Amino acid sequence: MAALLELEEVRAGYGQTSVLHGVSMSVEEGQIVSLLGANGAGKTTTLRSVTGGVHWSGDIRFSGRSLKRLSTEDVVRCGIAHVPEGRGILTELTVDENLRLGAYLRKDGGHVRKDYDRVFEYFPVLHERRRLSASTLSGGEQQMLAVARALLMRPRLMLLDEPSLGLAPIVVRAIFEIIRTINQADGVSIFLVEQNARLALEISSQAYVLEVGRVAVSGASSDLMGKESVRRSYLGY
Amino acid sequence: MLASMLQRIRNAPPRYWLVVVVALFFAGLPTVVSSFSAGLWAHALIFVIAIMGLNILIGYSGQLSLGHGAFMALGAYTMAILVSRYHVNYLATIPIAGLLTGVVGFVFGIPALRLSALYLALATFALAVVTPNFIARPDKFTGGNHGIILAAPDPPQFAKDAFAAVTGTPMTGDQWIYYLTAAIGALLFWLAWNLVRHRAGRAMRAIRDGEVAAAASGVNIAAYKTLAFGISAFYAGIAGSLYGIVTGFVSPETFPVTLSIALLVGAVIGGLASTAGPLLGGIFVYYLPIESNQWVPSQSWIPGQIASAVEKAGPAVTYGVVLILIMIFAPNGIVGLIVAGYTRLRRRLRGVADRDIGQMPPASQTVP
Amino acid sequence: MQALIQQVISGIASGGIFASLALALVLIYNAMGLVNFAQGEMAMFATFIAFTLIDRGLSYWIAFPVTLVIAFAGGVLIQRVVIRPVERAPVLTLVIITLGMATLINGLAGFIWGYVPRSIPSPFSVGTYSVLGAVVSYQDIGVIAISAVVLLLIYLLLQRTTIGLTMRAAAHHPEASRLLGVRVSWMLALGWGLAAAVGAVSGIMVAPVLFLEPNMMQAIIVYAFAAAVLGGIESPLGAVVGGVIVGVTVNLAGALPFVGGDLELAVALAIIIAVLLVRPNGLFGRPSVRRV
Repeated sequence: MAALLELEEVRAGYGQTSVLHGVSMSVEEGQIVSLLGANGAGKTTTLRSVTGGVHWSGDIRFSGRSLKRLSTEDVVRCGIAHVPEGRGILTELTVDENLRLGAYLRKDGGHVRKDYDRVFEYFPVLHERRRLSASTLSGGEQQMLAVARALLMRPRLMLLDEPSLGLAPIVVRAIFEIIRTINQADGVSIFLVEQNARLALEISSQAYVLEVGRVAVSGASSDLMGKESVRRSYLGY
Repeated sequence: MLASMLQRIRNAPPRYWLVVVVALFFAGLPTVVSSFSAGLWAHALIFVIAIMGLNILIGYSGQLSLGHGAFMALGAYTMAILVSRYHVNYLATIPIAGLLTGVVGFVFGIPALRLSALYLALATFALAVVTPNFIARPDKFTGGNHGIILAAPDPPQFAKDAFAAVTGTPMTGDQWIYYLTAAIGALLFWLAWNLVRHRAGRAMRAIRDGEVAAAASGVNIAAYKTLAFGISAFYAGIAGSLYGIVTGFVSPETFPVTLSIALLVGAVIGGLASTAGPLLGGIFVYYLPIESNQWVPSQSWIPGQIASAVEKAGPAVTYGVVLILIMIFAPNGIVGLIVAGYTRLRRRLRGVADRDIGQMPPASQTVP
Repeated sequence: MQALIQQVISGIASGGIFASLALALVLIYNAMGLVNFAQGEMAMFATFIAFTLIDRGLSYWIAFPVTLVIAFAGGVLIQRVVIRPVERAPVLTLVIITLGMATLINGLAGFIWGYVPRSIPSPFSVGTYSVLGAVVSYQDIGVIAISAVVLLLIYLLLQRTTIGLTMRAAAHHPEASRLLGVRVSWMLALGWGLAAAVGAVSGIMVAPVLFLEPNMMQAIIVYAFAAAVLGGIESPLGAVVGGVIVGVTVNLAGALPFVGGDLELAVALAIIIAVLLVRPNGLFGRPSVRRV
C-alpha cells in the first residue's frame, strides 16, 4: 500500500543554488516521521517542496496523487497543513481571525465548532486573547496559535517546521504533548523537522537525517537513538 | 605625437564613432531640412535636455520625480521675466535660469531625502498638478493666465554669414535657436557623460542599487541624492528657458502635468541609466503627437469624425501603451534592447562573451 | 458663524468624495504596497460610463449600482491582465505602469467621449435645508449620505465577512495565506475590483459639481493623495478621517482671501508635504520595517 506522502528523488533549490540533490522519503498514514540534520542541510526546503513553496523536480505524491505543478493553495486543499519556519502567523489579524482562517477550507460546520472547543481546551491562552491582535502573542503563544490553526484545518498530514525553535522548555514539552495527542487521538500523520533531535526521535517512529541535501541515515527512531555513532556524528549528542 | 594620436583614434571603441556620426548628423541637419523643421527639432532637443536631467535623477540615483515639468516652468519663467521685465539679454538668462532652478532643485532634494521613493513620486506628482495654479497666482509678476510673450531672437551676424557661406541662405531665427539648443545639448551631454563615468556616477549607481549597502561602503547618500536632484533640476531649468525662447511664449497652460509625464515616458523609453537613452526618448516623445497629427488625417480609411478624436487622444493612448509595454517587456528601454541585441550578436560572431573596456554601462536593473 | 457651518458641511461633503477615492488607494496599497496613480482616471472612466447609461435612459439610481459593478469588473480585469504578469517587479516599475495606465485611460476616455466638458445635472433636488440656521444644499447632504453608506458597506465587507477576511489576509500576508488555502491571486483581483468600484463612487458624486471631462479627476486624486497620506496610507479608517479633514481644511482655506479657489490644490500639496516631513505614517499608520 502506498504511503501517505512519498518523495522520490526530489531535487530542489533557489535560483542557481541547488539544496536538495535527490532525496527520497515517505510518511505512512498515522506515523510521526522526523527529519533531522544540521542547519542548511535542506530540511526546510524539503517541507517547502511538498507545499509548492520552492521549485522542485522528481516526484512528490500524496495519497498516490502527484503534487507536481500544483499551486500551494491546491496542495493544501488535498489535506496537508504546513506550519512553516517562522510560524506564518498573520500578525495584522486577531487571534480569532487567524483561527477562522484555519477553518477556511472546512465544509463541515458542526464539527468545526467542536474543534474550536478542543483547540481552546489545549491552548486556553488563545481563548483569552482571541480578540487581540496576533502580534501581541509571545513566541510560545504564536507557536500554539500556529499549531491550533493547523489543527482546525483537520488535515490528514501536518508538516511542522522546527516547532521548538526559540521556546522555553516547558512550552516545548506542552506543544509536543499536544502533537502526540493529535497523532494518536485524531490520526493525523506528522512530518516533523526539528533541530532538537532527541525530542524529535522520542516522539517519532521513523526518522531521516539529511546532510548537505542528501539522506545520510534513515530508519526507526528507536534504532537511531540507540546507535551511539549515529548520535554523535549526525545528531550532536 | 601624431602617431600616438592616430593610434588612439584607431583603437577607439565603436561607440565613440557613433557619437561622431550623431554629432555630424545634428550639425548638418538644418542645411537639409526646412527652417520650420529645424524649429521642431529644436523643441525635441529641448525635451532631450530635460530628459537627460531626469535620467540622472531616476536612472542613476533612483529617485522618481513626476514633477520635472515644474522645474522646466521655473526655468522658463525665470528667462521670460528677466527678458521682458529687466531686459536682460536672452543668452545670459539661460545659465541664470539653469543655476537658479538647480539651486531650487537642490533645496528640494533635502526634504526629499526623508521621503520613500513612493512618497516622493506622490509628492512630485502633486507638485506637477499644482504648478499651473502656482504660476498663475502672482500675476503681476508672471502675467497670470495670459502668460508672457517674447520676441523671437535674431541670429547674430556671424552666424547668418557662416550659414550663408555653406548653404547660400542666411540663417533664420529658427535655425539659430536650433544650433543654440544643439550646442547646449552637446555640452550638457558631455557633462552628464563625465558625471556618470566618474566617481559621482558610480556613487549614485551604488545608491540606486541598494542604499544600505552603499551607505555601508561609505558613500555619502544624502550629499549625492541632493546633488542628483540639483543637477537634474539644473538641466530642466535650462531646458525650460530654451523652451520659452523657442516658442516665444510662456503661460501656465504650457506646463501641465502631462508634460511631467511625457518627460518620464521619454526617460523610460530611451532607457533609464543609459547615456544615449534620453536622445531617443526625447525625440520619440516630442515627435509622437506631431507625427500622429499629420499621419492620421492623411489616412483615408479613418473616418473624419474619429480622426479628430484620434488626433487628440492618440498621443495619450500611445504614451500609456508604450509606457506599460516597455516596463513589462523592456524595462531598459530602447537602448536596453539595442544593447542586448548588439551584445547577443557580438557573442554569436565572436563565439565568446567578453567585456570591452569603455563599454556602455551594462543594461542594469531598472529603478529599484 | 452660519457661514462657518456652511463651509464645514460643504467641506465634509467634499471630504466624502476625497475619502472614497482615498479608500480605493488604501485598498490597493494594502494589497500590493503601491500607489495606483491610475485610480482617478479609472474613476473618471467609470463616471463617463455611468452618465452614458443615464443618457440612454437609465435612471440615476439604477445606473449608479450598475456602474459600480462594471467598475468592479474593470478593476479585476486590469489586475488579471496588466498587473498580475508583473507582480514581482520592483514597486517603482509598477508605479510607472500605473502612470502608463492613467495616461492610457485618459486618452481612451478622450477618444470615446471627446474633450468637451459636459454639465451633469445633480440627482438631488436643487433645494436647501436649514441646519442650525445655516443653509445646506441637498447636494451636499446627499453626497455625505452616499459616501457614508458606501464606506460603511466596505467596512462591513472587510471586517465582518469571510471574504473580507481572506482579502485582508491575502493583502498583508500572501505566503502564509496560501498555506491556509486562500487563493491569494484572486483575492488581489477582488481588491482591485473593490477599489475600482469605490473610486467610481467618488467620480460619480463629483461629476455634477465639476464638469465631466477626461481631466476631471486630476485634481481630485491630489486631494485623495492628501487624505490617504494624512490618514496613513495603510489605514482605511485613516482614509475616511483624512478625507474629511482635507475636505474641510481645503474648503475653509479656499474662503480665505489670499488663498482663494485657485490655490485650494496648493493647500492639499502643503498638507502632503507637511505630513510626509513631520509624521510620514499619518494619523493612523504604523511605522513599518523596511526590508533590506
